[in-house]
Amino acid sequence: MSTLLLEQVSFHYQGGFALQDIDLSLPERSFLALIGPNGSGKTTLLQLMSGLLQAKSGRVRLENQPLDTLTRRELARQIAVIASDQYFAFPFPVVEIVAMGRFPYLGRLQQLTHRDWEIVEEALQRTEIEHLKDRPISQLSSGERQRVLLARAIAQSPAILMLDEPNTHLDIHHQIGVFRLLQHLNQEHSMTVVVVLHDLTAASTFCRTVALLSEGKLVKTGTPQEVITTETIRSVYQANIEVHPSPTGGFPQICYGNQD
Amino acid sequence: MRGTYSLLVLLALTILLAGAALFIGPVSNPSWAIIQGIRFPRVFLAIIVGAGLAGAGAVLQGVLRNPLADPFILGTSSAAAAGVVLASILGFQHYFMLYFMSIGFALTSIFVVYRIAQIDGRAPIQTIILAGVIVSLFFNAAVFLFFSIFYRESFTMLFYLLGTLTEGSWTLIGISASIITLGLGLTWFFSRELNMLTQGETTAFHLGVDVETVKKLLFVVASTLVAASVAVAGMIGFVGLIVPHMMRMIVGPDHRLLIPASALGGAIFLILADALARTIMPPLEIPVGALTALLGSPYFVYLLRTRQNAGEF
Repeated sequence: MSTLLLEQVSFHYQGGFALQDIDLSLPERSFLALIGPNGSGKTTLLQLMSGLLQAKSGRVRLENQPLDTLTRRELARQIAVIASDQYFAFPFPVVEIVAMGRFPYLGRLQQLTHRDWEIVEEALQRTEIEHLKDRPISQLSSGERQRVLLARAIAQSPAILMLDEPNTHLDIHHQIGVFRLLQHLNQEHSMTVVVVLHDLTAASTFCRTVALLSEGKLVKTGTPQEVITTETIRSVYQANIEVHPSPTGGFPQICYGNQD
Repeated sequence: MRGTYSLLVLLALTILLAGAALFIGPVSNPSWAIIQGIRFPRVFLAIIVGAGLAGAGAVLQGVLRNPLADPFILGTSSAAAAGVVLASILGFQHYFMLYFMSIGFALTSIFVVYRIAQIDGRAPIQTIILAGVIVSLFFNAAVFLFFSIFYRESFTMLFYLLGTLTEGSWTLIGISASIITLGLGLTWFFSRELNMLTQGETTAFHLGVDVETVKKLLFVVASTLVAASVAVAGMIGFVGLIVPHMMRMIVGPDHRLLIPASALGGAIFLILADALARTIMPPLEIPVGALTALLGSPYFVYLLRTRQNAGEF
């Protein structure tokens, strides 16, 4: 249902930074990590894939339909995004924040239906935040907030879920929790997942495909074993590291080299 | 349910206080002529101006994602007042020009503030205050310039600028009442989108909101609400700050409730403030705008400090 296709996509900001000729195919049920050094264009690429930015040349298609021909609501029913900038100055209760995920399905003055509330409840359960339901979001910890945002994205019932650095500000327990949940959505609910990540070990442990960006170009796409190698990472990141298979499952793992 | 109940209580309270306010004033046994001719328009004006300013405050706070925004602090009121002063000094007889210039100035000032205050897609309170001060200074200077050139008309205008509910023209009151009613209705129509906007513009986009259109529309409606209030009552500050803040504690942050609640709360607040302004120093009446500013400034400082301590800014 959710084949996202980027063909020769290019984009440039007024300041000069540019993404060039990106070709990327996202078949149904993919689990993709976008990795790359700071300023390599990961977030820009995610914004192009989610329809927030329009490509200057080339095409982004969702199920063969150009992304820019979809209405905002149609787009929001297909793609949910957890952006990295979030505001919590208004004390909305958690359940109302999650219910906002149903907005693209509602008419202007239409109330949420019984079915909508069931979907909201389900999202609260799946992210294990039912007990926080009536608490104002402004009072929650960052780990709890992250789960609320995930619940809202789940309530949006999208075909594709995109996240920009979902694991920053989270301790290791909550990081694993978020990735396990994403894996569950991916496998049991056929949701395609795209994450921008700085943490290469997390990318190789949890994601099936990795796309490596450098200076606005897609350098390599493939399985973690194919992309995250000592040679590639050293040259793209200009960092003295070594990649070894992890003792727990053979995923490529970053080890800092001798820095002397 | 609790929300609807709160709205009904607020409505009942508005009606009750409006009735009572007809009998409060420097004359303790008012004749029917005084009640009908002087106090009724005044209480009616308090209701619409209070509703307009508090409603505008709630909308601006939502769009700017900052619960401390207020038309007075943002400089919108100063801009609208400069429009009114310029229109009357230039001798435009037609009401259309008065409202046209007032709305035009208010709208310009909001866009300027928005452009100055925004950093990385958000408008922190420090930059909002700064931008508001700059815009206010500019438009206040413009008003004083007009005054120095046309000093004969200045005194009546000065009293108006301080914010009073003494306007007696039913035509003006009627126009402002219609604009404010329409504006509040339109805002309520977009209150769900406003809820989404408080979560960030990118988030609202991804939830299916047409962000740019809704934002522009709400800016236009908010400046129209402010301009229609200022055109009949001058600059009455802090109603748009105090009232939505109190209403959020009663009905919560959902704009579908917050906007009607703020409108009613604003009416109640201004009826009370004006009753106080009329009776506190008999036989003098103090401008109600001076009173709300005296109450509002410390309230603003209190909110700023408590929120800063809570790490919200």
